[in-house]
Amino acid sequence: MSATAGNILEVRDLQTQFNTLDGVVRAVDGVSFDLARGETLGIVGESGCGKSVTALSILRLIPPETGRIAAGSIKFEGEELTTLGEEAMKGLRGHRISMIFQEPMTSLNPVLTVGTQIAENVVRHMGVSWRAARERSFEMLDLVRIADARRRLDEYPHQLSGGMRQRVMIAMALSCDPQVLIADEPTTALDVTIQAQILQLMLELKEKTGTAIVLITHDLGVVAETTERVVVMYAGRKVEEAPVEALFGQPLHPYTRGLMRAIPRLDIEADAAGTRPRLQEIPGLVPRLTQPIPGCAFAPRCGFATERCHVEPPPLVDVGAGHTVVCWEVDRVRASTP
Amino acid sequence: MTAYIVRRLFATLPVMAVVALFVFFLLRFAPGDPAAIIAGEDATAEAIAAVRAKLGLDRPMVEQFFVWILQLLQGDMGVSIFSNLAVTRLISQRLEPTVALTLSTLFVAVALAIPIGVVAAWKARKLVDRLVMGFAVLGFAMPVFVLAYILIYFFAVQWQLLPVQGYRPIAEGLWPFVECLILPSVALGVTYMALIARITRASMLEVLAQDYIRTANAKGLATDRVLLLHALKNAAVPIVTVIGIGIALLISGVVITETVFNIPGLGRLTVDAVLKRDYPVVQGLILVFAAAKVLVNLIIDISYAFLDPRIRY
Repeated sequence: MSATAGNILEVRDLQTQFNTLDGVVRAVDGVSFDLARGETLGIVGESGCGKSVTALSILRLIPPETGRIAAGSIKFEGEELTTLGEEAMKGLRGHRISMIFQEPMTSLNPVLTVGTQIAENVVRHMGVSWRAARERSFEMLDLVRIADARRRLDEYPHQLSGGMRQRVMIAMALSCDPQVLIADEPTTALDVTIQAQILQLMLELKEKTGTAIVLITHDLGVVAETTERVVVMYAGRKVEEAPVEALFGQPLHPYTRGLMRAIPRLDIEADAAGTRPRLQEIPGLVPRLTQPIPGCAFAPRCGFATERCHVEPPPLVDVGAGHTVVCWEVDRVRASTP
Repeated sequence: MTAYIVRRLFATLPVMAVVALFVFFLLRFAPGDPAAIIAGEDATAEAIAAVRAKLGLDRPMVEQFFVWILQLLQGDMGVSIFSNLAVTRLISQRLEPTVALTLSTLFVAVALAIPIGVVAAWKARKLVDRLVMGFAVLGFAMPVFVLAYILIYFFAVQWQLLPVQGYRPIAEGLWPFVECLILPSVALGVTYMALIARITRASMLEVLAQDYIRTANAKGLATDRVLLLHALKNAAVPIVTVIGIGIALLISGVVITETVFNIPGLGRLTVDAVLKRDYPVVQGLILVFAAAKVLVNLIIDISYAFLDPRIRY
């Protein structure tokens, strides 16, 4: 995991914490990953595992009243972001690092026209006139395949469907040709058919613009279809990282395996009695993040866990070809059938 | 939009009709007899009856009502029982000071309240927020006449910066006009400023927690653009509503302020006319006040459609 020239984003030992009435929540607890230029990286995990907080940390959008980046380093093009001044950070946001959010219904401002919301980003970062920015907004709406884009510029978000709004978000996010696009559950709130269209669109635009994408999702199906490399997170920590084929071919962390068993599948035939195998859930609950976890966070729910797993932090095991897993019992897990 | 405004204007007619009906009969059933007041304390019953006949007050009430309404529809509000001057003239003479005082008060209140509320919401729970909001509570709790006398004592009597009281029409020059309005506007405006600032803060806080504000920040927009365009425009509907309520309250508040600062406006005219049971003047004044409130309401309603495109008209 050495820093290489090909990486546009390098996150090291990121720790983001929130102050709550129950104490300090370690939402992200020592996460590291790299993003290569033009790459699509997936970050997967269930709700509350810290994947969205990781994204917000990169853009330094953690609300300062409640949370903070407690430790770690985030380097963008070699520049340290955790200590960058707020004004310089504002210059990066929406310009070189953009973000798309989960809720297209609430992420656009209801009282400003779509055209204004795209154009203001362009005016802010490209230093062009409003007229030129408006033309750019039109091009972007056209690029995300919104029909009748010229007219849509003057419409308000409530006049658009959910899928169209997410297209507008994408148009906005890509309007200044960012090097990195962070998409936080961009399709979760959409119908399945629209989901596929939006993902397809994102991939196509990535091909055109060379923007690297961090795709945050809980949906392994989305990950399999769209990403090149995957980081699996659990309880604020990275548990496994691998190229997407390796992860699906041979998942090595018990949690990753649990996630995969929990995917509903249509390709499994019903048996003679007409019953299909039940989906297997992961037993137990996500740990509370207010208490420091000395060993592996997944140990209480893990079928492979030993005494040691509960008390000693597990090592990062490199199994080759860019596949790493944070686990004491890799050999036993590998020997068992997934 | 124009069709909507015209439709809304027509819709105000029934409201005004009900106000007219109510005003007329309420006044007639209130204790006190203008004829007895005009005739004087020692007047005989015949003398009072003669005055009453002269004023037309001996006619059946329903007949009096229709005579008044017919005149009203021709733009004639009748004649003051005491001064024999046309009510429309009395009112129009006194209109300028009241309108000037109301607008300047509103200006003082809004111009201070919105920045205060926005800053308080932006710096929520920090020192600035607590200071500013503490000041707002103080302003809200302070009765207008107390603040008025405090202001007069310091600014007019001690430091002699501004006139103690009185009113100068705008025709006499801008500075004399403004000079006389400063203290009354501040005295009257502080209460509304506090009210509007609190609503602005609350409304802004709610908006600042919305997803689209996070989006605006994720675009790296300047703080003032996020606050003043993205947030304030969304927070505007409750603020404008309260400003509208404020204008309605102001019209009543003006009565006290005009008395304290000796301003010859509609408030003073109202007090005098009510005390003397000058029916035509009181009726005319209440109609004018009602029309003003209806108009303010209409303007507020129309402004909603401008502020929030989701509101259909």
